Amino acid sequence: MDINEILKERFGFEQFKAGQEEVIQDVISKKDTIAILPTGSGKSLCYQLPAYLLSGTVLIVSPLVALMEDQVAIMKRNGEKRVVALNSFLSFTERTHIMQHLERYKFVFVSPEMLLQSYVLEKLKQLSLALIVVDEAHCISQWGFDFRPDYLRLGEFFEDMERPNILALTATADDQVLQDIIHYLRLDAVKVHKYSLDRPNISYVIQEMNGEQEKTQWLQKRVKETTGPGIVYVASRRRADELANRLNEGGASVASYHAGMSQEDRAFIQDQFINDEIDWICATNAFGMGIHKDNVRQVIHEHIPATIASYAQEVGRAGRDGKLSVATLIYSLDDIGKIRFIMHEDLPKEEEIRHFNELIKSGVTLAEAAELVGMSETGIRVVQYYLERLSLTDTISRIKEQGIEKEKQLQKMMVIIQSEKCIREAMLEFFGERKAIKPASCCSICGEMDHSWIFDLERKDGQRQLADWSQRLGQLLG
Amino acid sequence: MDLTSLLLYIIRQLDGERTMYAGFHLLRGKRSGQTLQDVEYYQLKPFFGILPKLHIEQFDKAAKVLKNNKFVTIDDHAFVHMTKQGLMAANDLPKFQFNGWDYRGRELLFFARLSLIVQTVSHFKRGEKSFIPTQRDRDIQFFVKKMLYRQPIEDPKFSRTIGQEIVLAMERSGMVEKQKIIFTHRLDGFQCTGWTWNQLATEFDEPPFSVYLSFIESLHLMLAAIERSTDMPMLRKMSERIKVATYLTDSSMKTKQLFAQGLSMGEIATSRKLKMSTIEDHFVEMSINEEQFPIEQFVTRSEMEVVKEKVAELGTKRLRLLKDEFSNLSYFQLRLILGVLSRGGGNWTSTKS
Repeated sequence: MDINEILKERFGFEQFKAGQEEVIQDVISKKDTIAILPTGSGKSLCYQLPAYLLSGTVLIVSPLVALMEDQVAIMKRNGEKRVVALNSFLSFTERTHIMQHLERYKFVFVSPEMLLQSYVLEKLKQLSLALIVVDEAHCISQWGFDFRPDYLRLGEFFEDMERPNILALTATADDQVLQDIIHYLRLDAVKVHKYSLDRPNISYVIQEMNGEQEKTQWLQKRVKETTGPGIVYVASRRRADELANRLNEGGASVASYHAGMSQEDRAFIQDQFINDEIDWICATNAFGMGIHKDNVRQVIHEHIPATIASYAQEVGRAGRDGKLSVATLIYSLDDIGKIRFIMHEDLPKEEEIRHFNELIKSGVTLAEAAELVGMSETGIRVVQYYLERLSLTDTISRIKEQGIEKEKQLQKMMVIIQSEKCIREAMLEFFGERKAIKPASCCSICGEMDHSWIFDLERKDGQRQLADWSQRLGQLLG
Repeated sequence: MDLTSLLLYIIRQLDGERTMYAGFHLLRGKRSGQTLQDVEYYQLKPFFGILPKLHIEQFDKAAKVLKNNKFVTIDDHAFVHMTKQGLMAANDLPKFQFNGWDYRGRELLFFARLSLIVQTVSHFKRGEKSFIPTQRDRDIQFFVKKMLYRQPIEDPKFSRTIGQEIVLAMERSGMVEKQKIIFTHRLDGFQCTGWTWNQLATEFDEPPFSVYLSFIESLHLMLAAIERSTDMPMLRKMSERIKVATYLTDSSMKTKQLFAQGLSMGEIATSRKLKMSTIEDHFVEMSINEEQFPIEQFVTRSEMEVVKEKVAELGTKRLRLLKDEFSNLSYFQLRLILGVLSRGGGNWTSTKS
């Protein structure tokens, strides 16, 4: 059967979306492949379809348990039952059961921390693997904003086995990240497919303001007068809460979202937003990954994003349905100091690294050492990774380099904010692309934007009301 | 109900005998000798561990409110005292119905189990077999999977049975109307999203933390109602191992076992490589919690009697003041006596002396 027939019979599509076919051709010809495709372009088809032409199991490494569970649920709903997720959420019994029958599954999703378990790796070596997929592959790069230290080890794992070809998938990769993916995954004669990350339906606005008060006033007006669903990205948890409170006064329903909230509250907010029960979310960068919502009309940043890549990723959550959307960035000059502080706070300091190293050498457990030194979790894992491979001095200078790199990234973001160049063009250039088309409403530099549509707002007043308790129980269980 | 009012109640009990931070450790459920002792001596069991994750900043804020309102003062030894206004304000406090001593934060585990079960059956009875669980904790998911194994979760009758048990438990618990609303809106299910603390707070026009405290109290009430009842098998199952089985810390438990094997306190300290003072703490903890604590091996009956009288006479449980009165007794002996007295006298199991 050829790939077009499978596309139709298995997936019910008449045509491939841009890029899919070329990627699939390389995958089935057993080549190491990197596919850089924008979000919402059907990345998962790039490994799901080849699976039906290859014998053996497809192994998919995915960074977030929520993403993984989501993908499994979607595939099952579409009729593929031979799919399983191996992650630390499984109970011991379940895991044992799955491990014993692993060869029964066509698709095995695995989190990188599960690969650290030797019994998992041993079992995988016994399987006949058709393909290894590394999803969200930009997480491998410590230059990236989504760095997951466990990803660094993937290349080593796969090299130890007679591995099939690897398909690395991501929605954002500049040249440096691309090089890291190739290097750390140890890819051979790799085929790179890169599709434009441009989103012509999103127009960009950047506007300078005088401090927080002006921003708040602007946002109050904006939320009152223009349409959601929208996301306002802010720099801190405290600001997310404060701003949500202020914006709620204006009649729209607004909620905050950040990692300081309870897991339940976060899940509630996500569900409410996806169900269009609330119009706006004030969030830190904790909000976004794994949230499927197509009709986000506005993304507003009220601080300076730390990197262009993270900015592009966050902006990319607007308009997945292809309809017109607006990305607005409002900033004031004192934001630079704030973002720099947050950026460096996360990075392990030299004396922390030395202290950590001594503790480990003196036989203190990792967890205790981490606690005593007080580094962030990511910080610990990065330091640990380097200390296992490099000398103490080299580790320290490696981490310092990362600090310098972060600063460079911020500078690049500042250039986009302050230059007189088309914002779309500048962002695409960062990803090594040229602007192909100029949409009617491009950006605040190009001018002449028609944003009248954002004022058509239909607010469904009082959608959410407390029920009495028996009514509520009836809704849930009656 | 807010942190300030809880703290006011607690300080009234500790009036002049402890520092402000005794309240902090109490609310967080610190399992140290001192806090465990305080809980008994000052009848604060209901508040023990009701806020295991309380932040010091939040606590300090509440303490500051009490100071600014002149409800409490702090003396040179950092002990906190009630003022006249404070005592008056304390009289107007609502009746708190917590049972922290028995649940210690584990009531949230019960709620997590219940909420995942409700979310699951709410979806399944509508034929929706995949959903993103609000509860991400692996142990909770495992518990629920096990509990629902081979149950007719797609049958609407099954979900109604759970609903009926919840109604019954709420009614018997003595929860007030508002608590029932909070409780049911913290649950979510098919096409029925949950309400965050902030959202509930806006509706009730009170701080989110007050809503939260009210919720915790309602869970304690509900768990007690479930324990009393025999006609809610599902809820009973969900509340399995929520109530603490032993009130002793693990470490005290070990000391108790060694003592029962006939080791002396010194031998226990040596074999466990612990300081003598730690072992003493363990014995004090036992004196507080164990009905059968052999107090006669440490003091005479008459010693205990006179201390009991003195405590009543002085109206204090402060060790240093008592020590001034009884130079013949060690601090350790006094603490043991106070421990036994806090249980209401204890069993005098031996007649010697």
